[in-house]
Amino acid sequence: MRPAVLVLGLLVAAAQGSGYQRVPGGEYRSVLKYEDLKGSRAVAAFELMTQPVTNGEFLKFVRTHREWQRGRALPLYAEPSAYLSHWQTPTALGPVTSARQPVTRVSWFAATAYCEAQGARLPTWSEWEYVAAADETHRDARQDPAWRERILAWYARSAGAGLGVVGSTPPNVYGIQDLHGLVWEWTDDYSAMLVSADNRSQSEADRARFCGAGALAVDDRENYPVMMRVALLSSLRGADSTSSLGFRCARSIR
Amino acid sequence: MKSVSRWSRPALWFCGLLTAATTALAAQPPLPGDSVLQLPGVFVDQASRRFTLATRRGQPQLISMFYANCQSVCPLLIETSTAVVNTLEPAQRSRLRVLLVSLDPARDTPAALAQVVRDHRLDTTRWTLARTEPAVVRRLAAVLDIRYRQLEGGEFNHTSVLILLDGQGRMLARTEQLGARPDPQFVAAIRGALQQGK
Amino acid sequence: MKRQAKLSVALITAMLLIGCQGGSQAPVVATDTGGSAAGDFGPPQGEPIKAVLTSPPNVPPPTNRTAPAKVIVELEVREVEKEISEGVKYTFWTFGGTVPGSFIRVRQGDTVEFHLKNHPDSKMPHNIDLHAVTGPGGGATSSFTAPGHQSQFTFKALNAGLYIYHCATAPVGMHVANGMYGLILVEPPEGLRKVDREYYVVQGDFYTVGKYREKGVQPFDMQKAIDEHATYVLFNGSEGAMLGDNALKAKVGETVRLYVGNGGPNLSSSFHVIGEIFDRVYTEGGTRYQENVQTTMVPAGGSAMVEFRMEVPGTSILVDHALFRAFNKGALGMIKTEGPDNKAVYSGKEVDSVYLGDKAVSATPVAEAATASASGALTLKQQIGAGAALYNGTCSVCHQANGEGLPAVFPPLAKSDYLKADSNRAISAVLNGLSGPVKVNGKDFNSVMPPMSQLNDDEVAHILTYVLNSWGNPGGQVSAAQVAKVRGTTARPKGAAN
Repeated sequence: MRPAVLVLGLLVAAAQGSGYQRVPGGEYRSVLKYEDLKGSRAVAAFELMTQPVTNGEFLKFVRTHREWQRGRALPLYAEPSAYLSHWQTPTALGPVTSARQPVTRVSWFAATAYCEAQGARLPTWSEWEYVAAADETHRDARQDPAWRERILAWYARSAGAGLGVVGSTPPNVYGIQDLHGLVWEWTDDYSAMLVSADNRSQSEADRARFCGAGALAVDDRENYPVMMRVALLSSLRGADSTSSLGFRCARSIR
Repeated sequence: MKSVSRWSRPALWFCGLLTAATTALAAQPPLPGDSVLQLPGVFVDQASRRFTLATRRGQPQLISMFYANCQSVCPLLIETSTAVVNTLEPAQRSRLRVLLVSLDPARDTPAALAQVVRDHRLDTTRWTLARTEPAVVRRLAAVLDIRYRQLEGGEFNHTSVLILLDGQGRMLARTEQLGARPDPQFVAAIRGALQQGK
Repeated sequence: MKRQAKLSVALITAMLLIGCQGGSQAPVVATDTGGSAAGDFGPPQGEPIKAVLTSPPNVPPPTNRTAPAKVIVELEVREVEKEISEGVKYTFWTFGGTVPGSFIRVRQGDTVEFHLKNHPDSKMPHNIDLHAVTGPGGGATSSFTAPGHQSQFTFKALNAGLYIYHCATAPVGMHVANGMYGLILVEPPEGLRKVDREYYVVQGDFYTVGKYREKGVQPFDMQKAIDEHATYVLFNGSEGAMLGDNALKAKVGETVRLYVGNGGPNLSSSFHVIGEIFDRVYTEGGTRYQENVQTTMVPAGGSAMVEFRMEVPGTSILVDHALFRAFNKGALGMIKTEGPDNKAVYSGKEVDSVYLGDKAVSATPVAEAATASASGALTLKQQIGAGAALYNGTCSVCHQANGEGLPAVFPPLAKSDYLKADSNRAISAVLNGLSGPVKVNGKDFNSVMPPMSQLNDDEVAHILTYVLNSWGNPGGQVSAAQVAKVRGTTARPKGAAN
């Protein structure tokens, strides 16, 4: 048992880079056109992890929450063929996978359980979009062509190019890192991305399919980076995971 | 923006998932790994009775999500469910139960749900309308792949799907075809499930 | 008498009217296939068939069916990094691993069960819109697939024709610009007439952050795509896709059909085959054909079927006749026809060496020079060899293969006093072009030489070294460093590459 505890301790120390950072509240214009809310949205102040959750941190979690280990997690909550399939065993990363890489191949249920175990939660799409609009010096860099090009350059790299480690991108103006260029990230309300699967009908609400008057369409058609995130989230179900999808946690401020 | 306090309770229930499940069902064989009925959470029906999903095992049932204040599609959802049930022969009809869970627990109190039952003249021996905690609402929707978003005015934007569960809670079929003419493939799936006594 | 006159007038008028009527013919009514309303031939018969899918430039064989069938199509989406041009890599998003994606062939009335798979390593979700589908989104709404998943939907092919398919996931323009398109052929019930060769060619425009042929891994440039400033315009997804060893093949006397598509995303194509006339063009991939066409329009998101017969041996060049796309952005392909000459039809020599862009000649000496240069062991002989290969097709077009130029139009390079006098000026002429009056070997010229700055430093050095050592010129050597210096210290004219 002792060597395992030692290993765990080392893993914890290695993962120490990420903590929670307070993000001040504010108003911003979403890339999505909410039929029910014109103009800007308000986001209340909240706390967000500065980096995505790593393989090392998630490993520590599954060792103490055995029902979330690969092979034990219910198929209802995590598709067995994909869930953590890149780890050598259900409780060890193996030589190829780094503890400092963001954990991927995790389902929404698993991500939610991890955050709840910390007394936290997943960020909402609004919170994520609000923080991700920033670059190193501006709160809203979305109109800056350089910001878009940097992000599109990540999309151009094929998934086979290898996954980087957390903390490798400079912190944005809020002090948050790796929102772009590393992995897609789960949000608590990923299933609220009620956009039509067929992008061409973006400006029309499919009223029969989506009960309720609040259609969601993409407003800023040039903001490819955000459009692609929305497309990805809207294609997923709660038990799904992909090799480019990870998460980080958020906390509400009372 | 209307804030729903989803995180007001320390949610440790996932952590105690395995324990809770085994305790509750000590007398019965465990539910299969893909059973929807494994989802923990306390539900309250239109008559203020409390239950867990696991207690609804044994017979096939239809399940969906709606909310009482819905003006457009939700009445259609209930009509569709009724139409589907009515296409069955009386012997089968009596064995098929329907569970509708509210997306809007803040406003859909048991009294509000009871009003819906009265408005649509639903047979409560088979129909159950229920509410649960917001965190459970999000999880149930994720499990059933029902997508929803609460709007500024309190309405909901959501997909409308009817799902057939077998006696063990596994998803057998789903239909998005709403209206008085039931989806024939969906009805066939129901007949098949009831015949096999699953 | 009055009454008689009236009667006569009436009679004459009547006769005239009858005469007019009697001369008219019954109106000609064109027969119509009846469109989608007449396209349902009933339920599928026989066992389900697994569709044979092929990679470009090949086409699956004719279905040879006489009754509607159920056809199962399984197509996988993969994101792959490949060369778009020599030394230039690009991350393509593909149907079936190729750009364009796999060719699908069915018959009108077939029921197609379509399985779309998205490889687990994909970053993006994808779907498919087949223009052959009658139904919402052309299938796109029913095929939205996350990485590591697959979707299935079924449609009946009610209309015959040649149809584009493409991804329709947001942002659509980017998915298409990354290569997510292909062709599906819905054969008419009686099939298409038999030809000896069938090939699959799809044009597309590509947008990279770097310039044309700028080496390295190039990402997609969204702003250029929105502005419709293409960096590459290519057939089948890469510059060399149908050149050199990859040229399409035919024999004298054979009939060839090209299934031509245009994936876009932005540019329409003026499709032409140099040295051939299209005997038949099924314009826009439809039912009726036009005859004797030189150049046909293929709209973005559209298609055409062209048929022609190879009468003489030689190389026919496929181009987008918007010429700067052919010669400066890569819209070139080849068909090499072998067989006996037919001097009565065409007496001239092979077209290659005079007309064509630089890729017709083997690039081996160039590659050798590149390797040698990298290891620091480049010899004069290697430079001359590489220069010869590069000269033919780029410079020889105007200055001729023997360096003689064209009297009063293009100056000679052979025994040229102009070149001998100043090598830096020669380098500048290549990089920046030359216009206005010049005197070469005592003769006056006043023409316009366009800048050739898209050639890199090594290429310019090899070409000039070759010229200096050919046709009675005094010899000498030009180095890449020298070219770089001139490039850096002179101004490029507006619009020239770097």
